[in-house]
Amino acid sequence: MVRIEFNRLRFLVIDDNAHMRRILRTLLHGFGAREVYEAEDGASGLEAFTHYMPDIIIVDWAMPIFDGLELTQMIRQPGANANPYVSIIMLTGHSEKRRVIAARDAGITEFLAKPISAKGLYERIVNVVANPRPFIKTATYFGPDRRRLLNPTYIGPERRKGGTKADVIRQAPLLDKIRTQG
Amino acid sequence: MASAKNTAAVRTFGDHEMITPENKLRKAVSKEPLPPGDDPIARAEQALSELSGEFASWMDSECNRLDAARHAVKSDGFDDVTKEALFHAAHDLKGHAATLGFPAVASAADSLCRLIELTPDVKRIPPVLVDQHVDAVRAIYREYARSDAKELAKLLTRRLREVTDEFLIGENRNRPDILEQIMGPSLVPE
Repeated sequence: MVRIEFNRLRFLVIDDNAHMRRILRTLLHGFGAREVYEAEDGASGLEAFTHYMPDIIIVDWAMPIFDGLELTQMIRQPGANANPYVSIIMLTGHSEKRRVIAARDAGITEFLAKPISAKGLYERIVNVVANPRPFIKTATYFGPDRRRLLNPTYIGPERRKGGTKADVIRQAPLLDKIRTQG
Repeated sequence: MASAKNTAAVRTFGDHEMITPENKLRKAVSKEPLPPGDDPIARAEQALSELSGEFASWMDSECNRLDAARHAVKSDGFDDVTKEALFHAAHDLKGHAATLGFPAVASAADSLCRLIELTPDVKRIPPVLVDQHVDAVRAIYREYARSDAKELAKLLTRRLREVTDEFLIGENRNRPDILEQIMGPSLVPE
């Protein structure tokens, strides 16, 4: 398995529920992280993002002032802040398909449905660290490439234009990659 | 340690750019394998287990928050603030109950979330239906030590969902997309 040195990563946890923040902090410290910052709503989360410059943000969806989706859209503004490419893991009790698609289209890097588990969180972090995806910028989207897998049997409208190379992005499944590297 | 060379690149296509930003997280990928016997996931689970002594009091607090939100709805009626507070309290319970060691509570909380989220006009929700959900959540949690608690929770939640679905189907009869969602299987395990 890929070995991640968690003590070299800086985390920002944004969740309005103090119990969940404590659980996330405990899990991250358990993995070996030392720098874990917290914020309790979208507004203070954005401020903490600017101040602490985290490597990875773990954000809840439902929060006061502005929610995790709106926060993601604010961060994914090229030129508007120091790191619009920051990895964002959305942790939420919303697991309906339409919600997952909305989160993906807002530019999150990974989606993690509650209830949280140490294994699920660890795998998402390994993925964003060891398998970073390129970013796509179009007139309506800026965020990680939403195509994780090449589907040779895909039948449907082609949303991107201008080059077949861009349409073929082969991504090895994470678990296979970890197994081969381990 | 992997080298920290700048690998940023931009490729431009007809209607989009593909940007490979500098990989700032590469610094954390070690070439050394995990030491034998070292399991970060097990370490984190152990740390969470050491915290678990506090979970019952956290559940008390989450259930009390739900109860307070219910009483606010009863006294002030449904408005943006009371609706959001009730939904948020139920939603947190749905997401946290299993982590806190009370997974059977999650389904009743999920049913309340569906009731609030899928009703076009929440003011039409019968107060007794809100009461039944909140009381069910609290009862399932309170009686969790009983040997038949999970079976009772399953029966109670199933009945709650049936009553809720009946109400939601009537309220959404002209919204086929929502009806499809209502009649689909629950994503929260019983």
